[in-house]
Amino acid sequence: MPGPEVVRGVRVVADPSALDLADWPEGAEVVRLAPDDALVLGVADVRVDDPHAIVEPDHGWVQLRFDHAAFAVRVRPHIDWVVSSAAGTLAQGLVAGVPAKVLVDADGVRLLCGAAYAHELIQRVGA
Amino acid sequence: MSGGRIIVEGRPADYVDGDTVAVAVVRAGEHPHHGGTLCLAGDCGNCVAVVDGTAFVRTCQTPATAGLVVRRHPAVGAPPLDHGRDPMAAPAGPTVHHDDVDVIVVGAGDSGVAAAAAARAAGHHVLVLDDGTGDDVVGVYPGPTVVVRRAAGIWQYHADEVVIATGAAELHPVCPGNTLRGLYTARAAAALRAAGVDLGTVVEVADGTSLVRLDGDDGRVRSVTQVVDGRECTTPADAVVFALGSAPRDRLARMSDDAGVRVVGPAAARFALPPCPRDGVLCPCSGSTVEDLRGGWDRGFQHLELLKRSTLTGTGTCQGSVCGPHLQAFVADRLGAEPAPFTARPASRQLTMGEAGAQVHLDAWRRTALHDEHLALGARMDRFGGWWRPWNYGDHEAEYWAVREGVSLGDVSTLGKMVVSGPDVVEALERLYPTHVADIRPGRSRYVLLLNERGHLIDDGMIVRESDTRFVLTFTSGGASAAEMWVRDWLETWNLRVHVLDRTTALAAINVTGPRAGELLARVGVAEAPRFLQHVHAEVAGVPCHVMRLSFTGEASFELHHPVDRAVELWRALMDAGRSMGVKPHGLQALFGLRLEKGHVIVGMDTELDTTPRRVGMEWAVKMDKPDFLGRAALARTLALPDHRRLVGLTMDGAAPVEGMPVVVDGGVIGHVTSSFTSPGLGRAVMLGWLKREPFPTSVTIDGRTATVTDVPFYDPAGARARA
Repeated sequence: MPGPEVVRGVRVVADPSALDLADWPEGAEVVRLAPDDALVLGVADVRVDDPHAIVEPDHGWVQLRFDHAAFAVRVRPHIDWVVSSAAGTLAQGLVAGVPAKVLVDADGVRLLCGAAYAHELIQRVGA
Repeated sequence: MSGGRIIVEGRPADYVDGDTVAVAVVRAGEHPHHGGTLCLAGDCGNCVAVVDGTAFVRTCQTPATAGLVVRRHPAVGAPPLDHGRDPMAAPAGPTVHHDDVDVIVVGAGDSGVAAAAAARAAGHHVLVLDDGTGDDVVGVYPGPTVVVRRAAGIWQYHADEVVIATGAAELHPVCPGNTLRGLYTARAAAALRAAGVDLGTVVEVADGTSLVRLDGDDGRVRSVTQVVDGRECTTPADAVVFALGSAPRDRLARMSDDAGVRVVGPAAARFALPPCPRDGVLCPCSGSTVEDLRGGWDRGFQHLELLKRSTLTGTGTCQGSVCGPHLQAFVADRLGAEPAPFTARPASRQLTMGEAGAQVHLDAWRRTALHDEHLALGARMDRFGGWWRPWNYGDHEAEYWAVREGVSLGDVSTLGKMVVSGPDVVEALERLYPTHVADIRPGRSRYVLLLNERGHLIDDGMIVRESDTRFVLTFTSGGASAAEMWVRDWLETWNLRVHVLDRTTALAAINVTGPRAGELLARVGVAEAPRFLQHVHAEVAGVPCHVMRLSFTGEASFELHHPVDRAVELWRALMDAGRSMGVKPHGLQALFGLRLEKGHVIVGMDTELDTTPRRVGMEWAVKMDKPDFLGRAALARTLALPDHRRLVGLTMDGAAPVEGMPVVVDGGVIGHVTSSFTSPGLGRAVMLGWLKREPFPTSVTIDGRTATVTDVPFYDPAGARARA
């Protein structure tokens, strides 16, 4: 399992319809945190059709990667809620008592948490 | 038949393979507790004992194994803690497992088997849990989630549907003598007989209304007295077996009103209540009697839930399984209507502390991006407002002087930082805050209080205007999370078009403060620093920063908000550039003193839950000429009323008393000290403290010394240094 990685992206808060219709840059990974809130990873800037949108660089995240088996053994016991194993799943809640996002894809599972919490998450899941 | 021996109260007792501990104990002519009816079905608490060092173990559900050590609980009170264990040794907690299933069926009786078969036929993945196979269901939670204890650990099952098929429990007798040994429910007696246990001369009682009393000696039943044909009739007995009817075993079902929880079979059936109890122990777990119930009722606790609380009936080991129906009958007899059973809550089974705490995590404390820098500088770190923060770097007085006379850096990354933007943003902020917002020009900022609807102070911070429709809001470190929810809740309530982005953890912030702060900024590329309460976006040592000019320390101060991943780079650049100026970092210990000299209040430390702006002398921050804002109506109502509380400044000679010290006048306590600091610059102790009795005195006693009520700020009252 690779060590924790700093994740860089852009945070966009805008009208949900503007996010729905946004033409994201190639290579962007869009993590839709809420209807009006997206964390767009892998890009330095984005544009959306909302004059009042808040678009800010966001480098305050840390990511931990697990393959499915390691996730089941090391992380799943620390989650008190249902996490689908279906690829494309984004779940948000406490993981080992730390606020985190769970991103599931075909290759494995990523945990995303604020950099301020990273030391706690790493220690608690033994990453 | 083969078997072995367990150790009961220090003496070996034979068991036969297949025996539970309770059966083995009865086989040896003993009782696992001190007496009381045994159900041997896990319903009552009459068989709990200390087993291999663990208290409150249901011996009727514990298989007997060779060498297992059983000790009775004390007849009165709880079993003692195991003083043989090292209290500091971290016990190895059980492993917690999680699993997802379609349908969980609790109970493997007829109704459970039928429910499981139906669910399987519908194509569902079904899990059947039964205490007979070692599944001790501890609770049902919303979700629904079922928590199960097994020998191998704790399981949390997340299900689409939970079917409670736990059947019915047998009623216990309530009459004088019902705590004797030798009493069994009918099913328990059948189980004992099946196990080859000789019960001696048995009397069967099948009518609760006829039962008068049980008599015995040496704690064991010797006779039962019943009314037969209108006359009391006493029959000798070695054992009395009761077939008094049943009650639904529905405690798990009553724990959750989740739509995914369903009850079937006898657990869902209605049974006739037992006759109203007249005498005897009603709740064997807590020891409450029918007489206790009468006393509670006569004192006015004329509701089942109140009676439960006033007498502790139903609060013991079995959580009302035994006494619940009798308590209902008692209340029904007086009200003329059957009351609902009392609320059931997890856990339905006694848990060890290790089980209850298994994989429960403490609060996560955040670290700023500069955490390692602080450690490298010798900081003593402490937890404050949800963050690890430097308390001092070894000499808080030197840090104080660096701020007052030179330049110093403070890590203020922990401050709440929020961007709000939208066509309705001014309207929203006018409603949220008690100060004027519309007249803040872009490039300017204003200190603000945050009030709740009752006009009580819940946080403070800055409003920083970036454009006509975009602002940055700051909040206290400890209040930021609650403030974000507060802001979002109100925006949604008002249906205003405002976007919100919390940037607290995305941005770090460094406060450059002191009379030479501007000079240091010039050295790192800020040619024209903003003036007091202004702000600019600028590159500082190559790092993009939002530079805000304000002051918490009382000196010229510039907060540099910047991307969190550039924090170390910026911190080091500032430390390098300021080295020849003697720049030092300062921790919270110095900061708290510096701000106290300025009389700045820390919300939550100097304030209380019902603190109004008037009470802390901050009416200047409230503009009652505004048509409306949160808390305005409450303030308008209370402003005309007298108020007997004031947060005031206090000074005294010598060292500062500890925070929390009582404030005394004429021998009576009229308040307490909220903040205190021995000021190196002022040469005396300065404090903030509450006075809660009028007339407000001008002199008080604190820590046996005289203190003077003093106007704040103590330092630079005109604020010239902050604006310099």
